[in-house]
Amino acid sequence: MSDESKPASGDSAGLLNGHVTHCDPKTRRVNEAARSLHPSAVKDLLSLGVCERCILRLITVATFDSDLATVSSSTLRGWLGSGVEEAASPETSICIVCLGILQFVFSDDKQTLVKMKSDCGSGHAAWITDLVKQQGHEFDSFGLEVSLPSTISENERAVFDEAWLQSEKVSVKDALKVLVLDPLRASLGAKSDSSSFHIRLTYSKASDDAQGVSETTHERKKRKTDVVYADEENGSSCISENPFEKVYEPCILSVHCNQMPIFFSGRYFKYSRNVSQSRWIIDDERMGEASVEEIIGGSILPACLGDSYKFHAAGREDIDVRMLGSGRPFLIEVQNSRKCPSQQSLTEIEEKINNSEKKLVGVKDLKFIGSECWAMMREGEAEKQKQYAALVWISRPLEEEDCNSISSMIELKTPIRVLHRRSPLERERTIHWMKLEKIKGNTHYFLLHLCTQAGTYIKEFVHGDLGRTTPSMGSILGCRAEIIQLDVTDVKMGDS
Amino acid sequence: MEEIQNIDVTKNPEPEVIIESTKQKQSEEVEHHCDEQQKQSQEEEDELRKLLLSDIGELPLSPPSATQLNFVSYFITDFTKPGHDHYIYRHANGLCVIGLAPTHIAFKDQGGITNIDFNVGKSDRSVLKVSGKRKKNAMRSESNTALCKVSTANDSYIVRCCVKGSLLEVNERLIKQPQLLNSSADREGYIAIIMPRPADWTKNKESLITSEEYKDKKQDGLLEPCLL
Repeated sequence: MSDESKPASGDSAGLLNGHVTHCDPKTRRVNEAARSLHPSAVKDLLSLGVCERCILRLITVATFDSDLATVSSSTLRGWLGSGVEEAASPETSICIVCLGILQFVFSDDKQTLVKMKSDCGSGHAAWITDLVKQQGHEFDSFGLEVSLPSTISENERAVFDEAWLQSEKVSVKDALKVLVLDPLRASLGAKSDSSSFHIRLTYSKASDDAQGVSETTHERKKRKTDVVYADEENGSSCISENPFEKVYEPCILSVHCNQMPIFFSGRYFKYSRNVSQSRWIIDDERMGEASVEEIIGGSILPACLGDSYKFHAAGREDIDVRMLGSGRPFLIEVQNSRKCPSQQSLTEIEEKINNSEKKLVGVKDLKFIGSECWAMMREGEAEKQKQYAALVWISRPLEEEDCNSISSMIELKTPIRVLHRRSPLERERTIHWMKLEKIKGNTHYFLLHLCTQAGTYIKEFVHGDLGRTTPSMGSILGCRAEIIQLDVTDVKMGDS
Repeated sequence: MEEIQNIDVTKNPEPEVIIESTKQKQSEEVEHHCDEQQKQSQEEEDELRKLLLSDIGELPLSPPSATQLNFVSYFITDFTKPGHDHYIYRHANGLCVIGLAPTHIAFKDQGGITNIDFNVGKSDRSVLKVSGKRKKNAMRSESNTALCKVSTANDSYIVRCCVKGSLLEVNERLIKQPQLLNSSADREGYIAIIMPRPADWTKNKESLITSEEYKDKKQDGLLEPCLL
């Protein structure tokens, strides 16, 4: 990196003769590019109020690249040609095209004017770095995003002819990225790539009635276009004749960091008949004692220092149904996490939940998971089998013959208890197997173990839902049947 | 609820596994898999069984039915005509199941109900096809809209909706099995499911009586014990 203190404005007089006095190849390239421009064009643009970097990015043929990051705008001005200084606007005025963005002049959140002392990329990067560090993220690579006010492209069109602009010129967004990326990489100590962590620089207009350069398309078409100057390489360049106001306010810059969501997977158990799967509130009143979602998500979120979480599960069970056996697979998605907890801390979280006093919920196999998480969730879908144990009462005593298990197809209409929010349909579901387990000393109750296709309403299968589920336990046994309680004993995923 | 008789209550029962196949299957599998694995899954199974069984509490002789647990029962008597008594079971989600109350005069005829016809009013209620979550094509009915006509040996009676709302479904099983009305009018013999709007329900509710009031009112004329 060349030392930016070398080409100070004092030296510019020395360069007027066209001799480059320092040997750095990068800055020499920039110098040559600057000097290749037609001086009158430059003079006019400068007097209009276009900043040096905008001039360079829009009317040089050479690539506008990171070499420019270290060259201050006063140096640039020196290089842009003789006689320019007399017509030059005072240094502090804001560029009419880029609104000060490429001059590294902006206001912070509190509307205080910030002007980088060193007037080059690294100063700007340092300021951004401070704000990034305040947000507390841990990262080793980042993606830089820039958002600019829309008036900038209107400004460009007002100054330059549309056709001219359509040939490949560097946009303000790209120019800014080029100037700032290398220094930012260095001061953050991170790589830059399209990673899952983004730093967004948002420039917004200070006030609504700003920047009189922009005009309506209609007005622009009526404008006479003048072929005024010729650039050596290209064809004609065009500058509009509209007068411009020179008083502009700098943009407000805010820096915001965001981490893409991270995922954790595991299996949960629900031991309580008074805990819902997800947070359930009706009329400001919570239903049930707690929810699986809040117990698990609420433990993981603080460990990640995230903004919020989402809970996804492979299926669900009612609030009064326990989830036992192998547990039900779930995912926790954490938004904008500041750090990723280690497997050690995840194990600690798991133990804390499992050893809690109330023992409402249990967790197993809690771990960090990548983008394969959705495939894992989908494994638990429609075709898979679920296993249940239900305590059933029948109106007549159980007999030996009843216990012969049958696998059957059942047809069920949408149960009444969900009919209010689901389509009225008739669905076919398979009961893969059933077995009846007697309870000693009681002939009216038994434990029903069954394995069914996903989407089978077990409660309705037992009591028949007023005859809308056929066959039902009642119709099979030829009597009335009621379900007292239900437990899920297995949620089969894949080949498990 | 008076029907639950807690005379015979069993606590913490022990199970007696009847199923023939599973025990045999298990002993076969032991030969094929290594003992370690089997031991672990056996332990898990035992854990599971303990959990399943420990939760079985009192076992009343006759537990409350699903209808009793999930619905609130209302009745309306002498609706548009004397003796036309209906029940309205309202689910927590707002849906109403409509049917004939035990004291409906149709039951008093010899032989009970022999036929039901849903083709009343302007259309056949049994061919309505309601679709989608928004319940498109549901017939909007007033409380006195005719639902169906039930016939006995002597006479026929019009059954009305009793509740203003969208008609979601009629029990078309009754067409082939009208005797369900005689044997279990309060369960498999329900007539229709209607979805009232909350505002309409609040107004409607005023003309209905509760289960308690119904029993008191018809103390003398009970045809069969109320199965609810």
